[in-house]
Amino acid sequence: MRWYILQALLHKEAARHLANRGGIALAILLVAAAVLLSVFAPPEATATGTTIVGGVHHCYLEYDRLTPLIQHLRTHVPPELKSQMVFRELAHADTIDGVIVYPTGTGAIQIRQVQAADSPTGRAMVHVSIWHPDGAPTALAPYEQWLWKEMRRAYTAWACQKLPAAVLPPLPTFDDHQNWLIRETHQRFQEQVEAARGESPGPPLIPDLALDRKGLGGKVLDVRAAIATGMVVFALYFACVYLLPTLSCEERERGVLLAQALSPASPTELLFAKFLFYPTLGLGLAATLAGIYKPDILSSLFFWLALLAVGGGFLGIGMTIAALAKTQRAAFLGGMCYLLSVSMVLLICATNNIPLLSNLAVEYHGPRILHAAMSQTVDHTHWLHLMAAMGLASLWLIAAGYIFRRRGWQ
Amino acid sequence: MSADVMIRIAGLRVLYGSFAAVDGLNLDIRRGELFGLLGPNGAGKSTTIRVLIGQRRPTSGTVTIAERDIVREWSAIKPLFGYVPDRENHFEEFTGRRNLEFFGQLYGVPRLRVADVLKMVELEEAADLPVRGYSLGMRKKLLLARALLHEPPILYLDEPTANLDIHSAEVVHRILRQRVQLGATIILTTHDMDEVEKICDRVGIMCRGRLVALDSPLALKQQHTERKVDVIDTRGQRWVYDLDNPTDRAQLGALVATGQAASLRTREFDFHAAFLKLTGQAFH
Repeated sequence: MRWYILQALLHKEAARHLANRGGIALAILLVAAAVLLSVFAPPEATATGTTIVGGVHHCYLEYDRLTPLIQHLRTHVPPELKSQMVFRELAHADTIDGVIVYPTGTGAIQIRQVQAADSPTGRAMVHVSIWHPDGAPTALAPYEQWLWKEMRRAYTAWACQKLPAAVLPPLPTFDDHQNWLIRETHQRFQEQVEAARGESPGPPLIPDLALDRKGLGGKVLDVRAAIATGMVVFALYFACVYLLPTLSCEERERGVLLAQALSPASPTELLFAKFLFYPTLGLGLAATLAGIYKPDILSSLFFWLALLAVGGGFLGIGMTIAALAKTQRAAFLGGMCYLLSVSMVLLICATNNIPLLSNLAVEYHGPRILHAAMSQTVDHTHWLHLMAAMGLASLWLIAAGYIFRRRGWQ
Repeated sequence: MSADVMIRIAGLRVLYGSFAAVDGLNLDIRRGELFGLLGPNGAGKSTTIRVLIGQRRPTSGTVTIAERDIVREWSAIKPLFGYVPDRENHFEEFTGRRNLEFFGQLYGVPRLRVADVLKMVELEEAADLPVRGYSLGMRKKLLLARALLHEPPILYLDEPTANLDIHSAEVVHRILRQRVQLGATIILTTHDMDEVEKICDRVGIMCRGRLVALDSPLALKQQHTERKVDVIDTRGQRWVYDLDNPTDRAQLGALVATGQAASLRTREFDFHAAFLKLTGQAFH
């Protein structure tokens, strides 16, 4: 391996990218996107902004009259739902031919006051209608939890105000979910059963209910980290599976690769220069994007190991495509076909619970380890994914080196 | 091997499937020789060159360059030759100078050499323009400049003067003759018969993978010039006499002696005709 030859080959690769600025433009766009992500969705504000809550990005609360209940609801929206809630009179809703229409990705809670005369029970009624996106009845769950809780608070306060001397039932112990409703329903049922028993002695027929909810230990996908991970994976893919094969095939198509192969540069040196340049470019760009997203990631050993494993795997894949494709167009299409076919296989495996097959793809392990590194949720399973990714990357690199040396410049 | 043999091809056979592109080629090319390799399309010239530049392994036979086996000692042979392909292969986005600097770095030649070869091929003025703006002739000259960068003792040239104007072709011929005078060995493939006759020391004509003629252009001329004389007599009649035919010779002598020959013209050597005759014979 002669340094002056490597230096010339590396300079040549850099000079080609400086002369054809498409790659540089895309890299700048990626960096700009990372900066925008960092500025407009900082880590401390992941729950606000334009985040989707429960499956809809906005929920309308529509009312026919501005009653004390509506005023209470309006003043008691929790911070995490504030930017998603839109209060408006039913009369101001958008309609087509008299029918209210809602944009895609939204839901609505309509509250109407029904006079005693119009009520089927003969008493005044509050009619609540929940309008959720078709096929997603739980999409408004976070909004409903808030609604039932605040409705109870509002009516309790109103009753206290009207009956200052009366002993009213206390407010239930609200929680973040609907557990209080379940407990209250169960308790009410117990009371009804006990009342039906009359005077017969004995312990309660219906046992008490204890209810709690706990996480399994896994974490919900961090959307912001997922976007950043996507950009990091794309940077590696772009450098190693797109730029490397297309530019190498362009050199072969033009005959420049042959000219280099006939020079004193050995096949190993030509290969090594490409192995050095493109992963460095990809890793550099990926690390820059990750650093913009969360600077302290750069001090994480796991992050760098994950980056090396994914970068190495993509390099092997890119080099194999470069060796097999005869033309620049074939290399581009080869990269695209590879991406589509692997995505389809992974999707089919995931939706049909097909074991093992997806473990053979770098693309299966890569995003998992990078996302874990970027959201700082690394556990022992991620180390296993990392080892698998490194093994696959090694196999790809060996295959790529073998194929490229055999037919890379033909 | 004789000391003055630079390239020795012995029993070279190259098969593409069952088709023999080169079929038992034996050829010695001497040091300091400008050798022209001719032949119709598909004759096996390009395959022979591909073997010489290490892009095709011989199916059988041996090729030695400077007494080194082309298969076993390829890495030692690589720096010994420069190659001008028929299809230009430059980095289009680089300037001519940058192209040469890159290859100069690979060959480890000083940067000054780039300016020298640019001057040699008369490309100094266009040296700092991107190659994508070059004419076909300029690209061809840049290829030659690249092949000359490391002053190789062997040059393989595939149609080096195609698309060149007369002046540029003259420049290339001059450079090739200079290289030969300095001891370089040059193998040239071309379809330009005049060029072959003008600059080559020896010519090999290939047809269907075999060598059908091998000699200097002068010797080929002597062998294949038609020994016929065109005569127009005093009555305006045209006659053709074959000097190899004793009767014709006697009749011609009589015509000249009686003063009836108004005009006499010997036929010129025609390389095209000789080439067609040789390769045509081989075909039939």
